[in-house]
Amino acid sequence: MIENILDRLKADIRFQEGLTSCMNCGICTAICPAAEFYKYDPRVICNIVQSRNINEIEQLLKGDEIWYCGQCMSCKTRCPRGNAVGMVITVLRKLSQETGYFVESEKGRQQFAIEKAVGQNIINQGYCVHPDIATYENHPEQGPVWKWYLDNIEELSTKMGAIYKQRGAGALRDVGEENLDEIKKIFEVTGGMAFYDNIEQASQKAAEELGVDFQEEYFMKVYSENSGNHNR
Amino acid sequence: MNIVDCIIIGGGPAGMEAANRLTDQGFQVLLFEKEPELGGKLRQWDKLFPDFTLAQDILKMLNDNIASNKLEIKTGNTIRELRQSTDEGNSKEWEVIDGNGESHRARTVLITTGFDFFDATRKEEYGYGIYPNVITSVELEEQLKNGKIEIASNSKNDPNIAFIQCVGSRDEKVGNHYCSRNCCICAVKQAIEVKELLPQSEVTCYYMDLRMFGQSYEELYRKAQQEFRVNFIRGRVSEISPTLENRVILKAEDTLLSRPIRATVDLVVLMVGMEPSETTAQLSKSLNMSDPYGYIASKNSYTADNETQHKGLFVAGTAKRQLAIPDVIRDADAAAFTIAKHLKNGK
Amino acid sequence: MQKHYWNEYQKEIAADRYFYARSCIRQTFFPGSETAFLKILQDELGKDIYDSADQHTCSGIGYHGDVVPFLTTSTVIARLFSLMTEAGYKNYVPSCITSFGLIVEVLDTWKHFPETLEQTRESLLKATGRTFEIPENVAHPSDIIYKFRNELKSKMKYQLIEKSTGRPLRGVEHIGCHYAKVFPDKGVGGAEFPHVLAGMIESWGGEVVDYPERRHCCGFGFRNYLVQANRGYSVSNSHKKFESMAPYKPDFIIANCPGCAMFLDKWQYTIAEMEGKTYDEQGRGIPVFTYEELAGLLLGYDPWKLGVQIHQVQAESFLDKIGIEYNPDEKYKGASGEELEHPQKPSVLKV
Repeated sequence: MIENILDRLKADIRFQEGLTSCMNCGICTAICPAAEFYKYDPRVICNIVQSRNINEIEQLLKGDEIWYCGQCMSCKTRCPRGNAVGMVITVLRKLSQETGYFVESEKGRQQFAIEKAVGQNIINQGYCVHPDIATYENHPEQGPVWKWYLDNIEELSTKMGAIYKQRGAGALRDVGEENLDEIKKIFEVTGGMAFYDNIEQASQKAAEELGVDFQEEYFMKVYSENSGNHNR
Repeated sequence: MNIVDCIIIGGGPAGMEAANRLTDQGFQVLLFEKEPELGGKLRQWDKLFPDFTLAQDILKMLNDNIASNKLEIKTGNTIRELRQSTDEGNSKEWEVIDGNGESHRARTVLITTGFDFFDATRKEEYGYGIYPNVITSVELEEQLKNGKIEIASNSKNDPNIAFIQCVGSRDEKVGNHYCSRNCCICAVKQAIEVKELLPQSEVTCYYMDLRMFGQSYEELYRKAQQEFRVNFIRGRVSEISPTLENRVILKAEDTLLSRPIRATVDLVVLMVGMEPSETTAQLSKSLNMSDPYGYIASKNSYTADNETQHKGLFVAGTAKRQLAIPDVIRDADAAAFTIAKHLKNGK
Repeated sequence: MQKHYWNEYQKEIAADRYFYARSCIRQTFFPGSETAFLKILQDELGKDIYDSADQHTCSGIGYHGDVVPFLTTSTVIARLFSLMTEAGYKNYVPSCITSFGLIVEVLDTWKHFPETLEQTRESLLKATGRTFEIPENVAHPSDIIYKFRNELKSKMKYQLIEKSTGRPLRGVEHIGCHYAKVFPDKGVGGAEFPHVLAGMIESWGGEVVDYPERRHCCGFGFRNYLVQANRGYSVSNSHKKFESMAPYKPDFIIANCPGCAMFLDKWQYTIAEMEGKTYDEQGRGIPVFTYEELAGLLLGYDPWKLGVQIHQVQAESFLDKIGIEYNPDEKYKGASGEELEHPQKPSVLKV
């Protein structure tokens, strides 16, 4: 157990701002899309954090619950005390990853997939999302028109004024090595790269403990695994 | 120019009661009221919590006393200014410029300018002023007075009616951190009255805390539950939206069960909180004696609660904070006592 | 008369000289909308808007996917500001709602905790040797189209009116959560009844549908879509919105957030495949547009250059209602003019 868990939470500005005093009124849970779908109650999360009970907070960091929030921030709009539960969740997730606790839950382990897909794409392409990573195979729910678009991306995107993978100003442009280099340096200087490395190391260890091949199987496991125990 | 003993600004229950108590003792009083009639918000009310006393009975008692007393009353007159007299040697006097621009002088002034109801359109997520079946507790009281509850929805079933607490109170978003104190018990009272008029209706009250601190409040709450089957759900309502049948859907969490709920209802009653009235806020600001919300801060809420930081200037009732009718009348009595002492001592 | 308290509230939107920051999701799913935005601003309104070749992601999806720390994100955004400063602009226009919301959050954090601004400046300088100025104005493209909606109306060939009956078309407007839910004063009309899209629909001849789940999230939920295992969350939220809006028989949906526009379109296909259900009377689904697509169609732009054919719910039912002219033979042609193999037809949703 980490003793300074509370200090580390309190050190984050978003935590100080996000939770000043909760009345447990439930106005957040009332309109929370995640609370309707998952066994999740943002009010209870606030209550646990506000209780300052280190054991319970540690259980949050190790569990599935903090990963259910969709970050829509509807809770922020309504809270009569000006709290932002979604922001508190962000800080809890950060701490869960820094401590390595995230690999102890199914939903937490998914961070590896997000780091691999979105995280690495920022470094490699300069974009969070790009048609090249939104493949039809991994996104069948996008439908046949999406497949058609991807199959004909140069013809179609050009028709719509994009410059797919070319240098210059425009949609879908190649961001360019000199720009990518600066983005990479920003990640190195600000701790972004270390954050990625930490996710990867903890995930590799988790893969070993779970007896799953890290290189071949782990990504698809965390990307697609669903125990079915999450819903109301 | 005639200098009266006391000018009272505001002819609601506090102003009326204080005027009576001062004239009883032989002081010369001038009472200003902006409306054409005395009585303030008591005139809008049908029955009072927690014992269903008729508001008009209280009003009648106050009015009867006024009628038997000799005092000057100026109704339909909104004062323009209140200031300390600038004449040399008379700095202890107060001057009021009335709505007609006339000047009046007094040895003391009592402010009883009271409160206003929270403007529910400011809580846009509740759809007040947008959906016809979202009304305020003030509008419901008017309907209760007329003995008929209007349901705007097309539903043929027994109506579902919801009371929503803390509208404009305990809410950082509208700048009112305080509890308005009267809404909890008022909703209990109104819920019972609704059930009496519409026994087949389902009445649910959404609350955060039920603050049943006054004498007989808790008993009335229990009666609402036991005898009238009013439901109480602990959860603050997050938003209200319309349906095609002219009903509305409200979203809350049943916090005791940790479960989000959706309720489709035919009538929503917003328990609007209290805010300083426009005149209260103006006076507290112009004389530099405002609390954080625009109410008038008394000199010392423990020991000098009817005095202000200005000598000869007094305050009573809901111009100070959220009070119920009995508290207001007691406070006006106390103010009259304090003013009398001040006048007799000549300071 | 209905009273909307927030309607009286209008935020400050710069009138000209914009620095355009493109969006990862928009360029992926709606490249034609970004093109149309520039065309509308430059050709219709005669504005100066700069499109930098060196721009990149704001890292927002990574931030809200919880893999990118705050300082990293704020420094990546600072680099974008540096590009703006270098180009001589002060009005920042982020194409994406996630980006818009995040920039507002970063600026607010800098304002209340100046040490975080200093930290960001130091980090950017150390990593890239760059400096930057904070934008004077941050407005979303939908804010700008809103600001000039009446001017655009005077140039429009069509209105949101059914040709055969003269009936105003009913539009569902869906506002991206991060537009005003975090900082209500940063959105036109605030968080509860934002007027940014409703104002366009009203000005251009249509009617706005007020339905129970109007404010509910489309269901993107970042990690709830990014990770395949979580997509049930995403689709169930859109499902909830469709079920809620369908009884009002909307003719179209518009959104100002790229994720929302994409999900509200694509999930109609998914739901049709899963449950056999569609949300209009003809079984074609409710067409979903970006606000630029809508503006472009009414201005008489070629629908296929706007890119409405790459939506899963096809636009023809909407075009025909208004009487918008289009050439069906061009629909499946690429930039070279070559006829492409047509997309497969879904098993339920009619195309």
